[in-house]
Amino acid sequence: MAALEEEFTLSSVVLSAGPEGLLGVEQSDKTDQFLVTDSGRTVILYKVSDQKPLGSWSVKQGQIITCPAVCNFQTGEYVVVHDNKVLRIWNNEDVNLDKVFKATLSAEVYRILSVQGTEPLVLFKEGAVRGLEALLADPQQKIETVISDEEVIKWTKFFVVFRHPVLIFITEKHGNYFAYVQMFNSRILTKYTLLLGQDENSVIKSFTASVDRKFISLMSLSSDGCIYETLIPIRPADPEKNQSLVKSLLLKAVVSGNARNGVALTALDQDHVAVLGSPLAASKECLSVWNIKFQTLQTSKELPQGTSGQLWYYGEHLFMLHGKSLTVIPYKCEVSSLAGALGKLKHSQDPGTHVVSHFVNWETPQGCGLGFQNSEQSRRIKDSEKHIEVEVRKFLALKQTPDFHTVIGDTVTGLLERCKAEPSFYPRNCLMQLIQTHVLSYSLCPDLMEIALKKKDVQLLQLCLQQFPDIPESVTCACLKIFLSIGDDSLQETDVNMESVFDYSINSVHDEKMEEQTEILQNGFNPEEDKCNNCDQELNKKPQDETKESTSCPVVQKRAALLNAILHSAYSETFLLPHLKDIPAQHITLFLKYLYFLYLKCSENATMTLPGIHPPTLNQIMDWICLLLDANFTVVVMMPEAKRLLINLYKLVKSQISVYSELNKIEVSFRELQKLNQEKNNRGLYSIEVLELF
Amino acid sequence: MGEFKVHRVRFFNYVPSGIRCVAYNNQSNRLAVSRTDGTVEIYNLSANYFQEKFFPGHESRATEALCWAEGQRLFSAGLNGEIMEYDLQALNIKYAMDAFGGPIWSMAASPSGSQLLVGCEDGSVKLFQITPDKIQFERNFDRQKSRILSLSWHPSGTHIAAGSIDYISVFDVKSGSAVHKMIVDRQYMGVSKRKCIVWGVAFLSDGTIISVDSAGKVQFWDSATGTLVKSHLIANADVQSIAVADRCLISCSKKRQLLLFQFAHHLELWRLGSTVATGKNGDTLPLSKNADHLLHLKTKGPENIICSCISPCGSWIAYSTVSRFFLYRLNYEHDNISLKRVSKMPAFLRSALQILFSEDSTKLFVASNQGALHIVQLSGGSFKHLHAFQPQSGTVEAMCLLAVSPDGNWLAASGTSAGVHVYNVKQLKLHCTVPAYNFPVTAMAIAPNTNNLVIAHSDQQVFEYSIPDKQYTDWSRTVQKQGFHHLWLQRDTPITHISFHPKRPMHILLHDAYMFCIIDKSLPLPNDKTLLYNPFPPTNESDVIRRRTAHAFKISKIYKPLLFMDLLDERTLVAVERPLDDIIAQLPPPIKKKKFGT
Repeated sequence: MAALEEEFTLSSVVLSAGPEGLLGVEQSDKTDQFLVTDSGRTVILYKVSDQKPLGSWSVKQGQIITCPAVCNFQTGEYVVVHDNKVLRIWNNEDVNLDKVFKATLSAEVYRILSVQGTEPLVLFKEGAVRGLEALLADPQQKIETVISDEEVIKWTKFFVVFRHPVLIFITEKHGNYFAYVQMFNSRILTKYTLLLGQDENSVIKSFTASVDRKFISLMSLSSDGCIYETLIPIRPADPEKNQSLVKSLLLKAVVSGNARNGVALTALDQDHVAVLGSPLAASKECLSVWNIKFQTLQTSKELPQGTSGQLWYYGEHLFMLHGKSLTVIPYKCEVSSLAGALGKLKHSQDPGTHVVSHFVNWETPQGCGLGFQNSEQSRRIKDSEKHIEVEVRKFLALKQTPDFHTVIGDTVTGLLERCKAEPSFYPRNCLMQLIQTHVLSYSLCPDLMEIALKKKDVQLLQLCLQQFPDIPESVTCACLKIFLSIGDDSLQETDVNMESVFDYSINSVHDEKMEEQTEILQNGFNPEEDKCNNCDQELNKKPQDETKESTSCPVVQKRAALLNAILHSAYSETFLLPHLKDIPAQHITLFLKYLYFLYLKCSENATMTLPGIHPPTLNQIMDWICLLLDANFTVVVMMPEAKRLLINLYKLVKSQISVYSELNKIEVSFRELQKLNQEKNNRGLYSIEVLELF
Repeated sequence: MGEFKVHRVRFFNYVPSGIRCVAYNNQSNRLAVSRTDGTVEIYNLSANYFQEKFFPGHESRATEALCWAEGQRLFSAGLNGEIMEYDLQALNIKYAMDAFGGPIWSMAASPSGSQLLVGCEDGSVKLFQITPDKIQFERNFDRQKSRILSLSWHPSGTHIAAGSIDYISVFDVKSGSAVHKMIVDRQYMGVSKRKCIVWGVAFLSDGTIISVDSAGKVQFWDSATGTLVKSHLIANADVQSIAVADRCLISCSKKRQLLLFQFAHHLELWRLGSTVATGKNGDTLPLSKNADHLLHLKTKGPENIICSCISPCGSWIAYSTVSRFFLYRLNYEHDNISLKRVSKMPAFLRSALQILFSEDSTKLFVASNQGALHIVQLSGGSFKHLHAFQPQSGTVEAMCLLAVSPDGNWLAASGTSAGVHVYNVKQLKLHCTVPAYNFPVTAMAIAPNTNNLVIAHSDQQVFEYSIPDKQYTDWSRTVQKQGFHHLWLQRDTPITHISFHPKRPMHILLHDAYMFCIIDKSLPLPNDKTLLYNPFPPTNESDVIRRRTAHAFKISKIYKPLLFMDLLDERTLVAVERPLDDIIAQLPPPIKKKKFGT
């Protein structure tokens, strides 16, 4: 469990921190000593455990330090830049900065970056990077321009990944953000465009990054108060290409969007981030620690005197400017235990730290439709589902791997095996993501649909029907059964894709009116037409009722969307027919009513199509009507409630026959016309013509 | 822009022969196709599906199987019992070898590409070793009762599956003995009681064998136990494919207005009709004389005709088969034609890939399949061999496209991959070589007066190269700098013929199967925003607008599919069409299937 310990102030000396705060806090080669550079002329070396300064160096009056001092871990010397271009190197014995080694560079320095185990790097404002040694060998060497005009470096970080120095820096230009990843050894520079997503207006306030084997996980705190994560592959697939990166939401509303003061974000370890800022617009500033894996607030600490919106984290210490003085808050993250989670392990809580109550706990995953289960067992499963989801998301971000297909296949097989072994384990979001990769098929993972059928997960089934090309007819039929039998109330909770459904209810009122007024013959078929019937006296009496019935959709929208997925799926009638016979008769009637309704909707316009993005086609509708009747005619014909439907269908066919016979007559005349036309056009086997080209 | 009288010819009664088998080579992305007349064609799928090479057919050869082996080597086997290897460089048959098993029905190269397996009429499966320059018989597998119709290797190369009549056998390659014999059910759902022919087998790496048979079943077998795993009845339907050959099958004599059509085993000579009427755009003019069929020239022997040509003056016809070259002299006396064969062809003129006459019909250019180019002087009724340009040392690549300049001084020849060579006919030496381009040449021609060589490639690029200056012309450079219109580059049929207008030096006439185009070099090139093809004549636009929107490409899409188009004289064009409906009318009707009424 992550915890913040009691804070302490480093020195009573008031630092000359400007409105911008400090220039920087950097590690030195001794664990407990830190270099603090203020925004004016002074660099101070502090020993944190003693809470006192060990040394202080200042540049001459008139000069100004422009880049925080760092320690060169290889030599133990300190490096600083003043007046943008003048580099100074000194060590503990030096007293006067004016007398130490000096090198004047040919370009302005943005920052010097130094980490343990490698030589410091110098990042210039124009985006070029040099090793310190190489730079000192020829300080006046020409520095190239990497980034474009008006592009400004906002943030940078330096990592060593498998002994390879990797530098990342973020630039901004006209509200667009770009990430540059420089592999220092191979000199590969990759540029990425950070896509801000829907919220174009948000400004990124603060960045932090952590690194694992393949990715730099770049976290950003936006002006909307949310933390976003962007995964940047360390080894780019194609360094030449300008690639775009999509960010994903990690934590929602951790700080107030319109805080007056600055906000800051820093990654503490793989799972924890520290956020500095006010949680509500009016409240005081807080330092809070969040667990990003479980999206929980771990601890927080109020900072009533205000901060400069700057936060540094080294070892176990968080540094910030509280009021006018430099404050250090030790941070510890102990391994959490089950007992701790259950609250049985008493935590020694500091009186200064208390969990601010107005934070929302985001731990419960949103809307799984499975209900909230309270037992520890289910919580464990939930956690592992969440964990798997995060891992899958990471993997999917790196699509270029050559064995992508096999890995996806193996992952699904593995997940499904666990699903079968542990009935309560059902990583639904994860499965949905995997299906949407378009690389799965039914034959690769037949268990997937079996489990979804068992769970009656109609949303997943719909997705499978849309994505898999090879679903056997028996499974299609099983899906159809569920789609027809599932209750309206349980449908309400699901989130099915409504793309194929058009809002029929809006249209129907209008159509009804139109029908009443003009009695338009719908492509030859009029449900009110009753010249030919002598069997439906009942219908004759209330034609108005019938119109109403046929123009309102017999199923709810969500069910319609599911049935449309069935209509779109591929099948072979030989294999489908035997399974259709197993569906209960009242469901068959319902489906037929829906199909009949679709047919009526189709015949409302001349092109015989339905509105919407991906609607069922007329052929699909007609084929399914034929199939259902072929399979179940003997049953349906015995049902009294299906009588009207059958009569309608009978009339439909009858009117279609008359339309087609009329069309045949027209065709004959057309053919004659065509023949005449052909005689005019047909020049036989040989002709001489005049051609003019313009 | 230009008004022409167009002789619209549709009496070229050409029907492409059906496709018997195809073999795809993954490495070079090429497709080998064999037709029912024995022709084998190679399509380069990377170069816009251009027909790159072809091997002429032979009456007695019915190719039943094609396969690629290691090192891009192509083998075929057929009902004459022979296995053949094709030389893809010299474009001839490298060798033919009798397998001594009667007609061969199937063939498969091993996964490593080093062994070849054939299935014969007598029920034997024979294994051949592929050596660098030949194949060598290695072993017979256990003889089966009836013909072997299909073969498939296990990806590891240890076992093979062989489909026969009513059963499938599995062989062990090492021992050559049959491991399993799986009987295929003749009856399926009581449909067929005839013999069940296993037309195809596939051996999967997990040991599953998949078979397809004449009863319309797809069956899955376990090769380890020899048992049927699954059986599916599928709707089986025949597929007919049509492709009109890109090869030039038509030549024309401008002076006498004659057309020579080339078929597999005969040539037809037609005289175009005439009219005295005039008309406006789109009119069909009344004929004062109809077209005549003058001559029907049958070849002797079983070999297909490779190429043919009629001289511009109309008094010479030359054609070639794989083993012989024929030259005929035509005499016209009023309406009578007499034909006299020029005998005693020299031995080197055995087989030609391309024949071309010079504009004044005094010279004959022959591209032989040995890579050499022969120049023959024609005078009176006799001929004299003038010179042979030998191929560049070290190459054996055959030339398959020729173009001669109207003044007879320059000869351009192009192979399938290397650049275009230009020869000086007067001095009898190589003048220059146009730099090689990634895509094969589909058509080329030399312009009169300027001696600019215009070359069209299968990726739809057109270059103009000045032969005297040995460099691309300024216009060509401008075109390359600006790029062609995207719709021009998206066309999927290659340009098959290029010609020039004798009075308008700025015009280039070219066509593909679906359009005819005049490029006017004096007009600005169209950019991607302008309309490339406007089917409607500008009627009510003012001259100013017309001039402003005018661009270099004048396109007509009236004639399609267009096999041949050339300029007869300044105001007359001849267009040979082969309407697809006419070809389809000669194909068997499609299979009709009843869908409902269970």
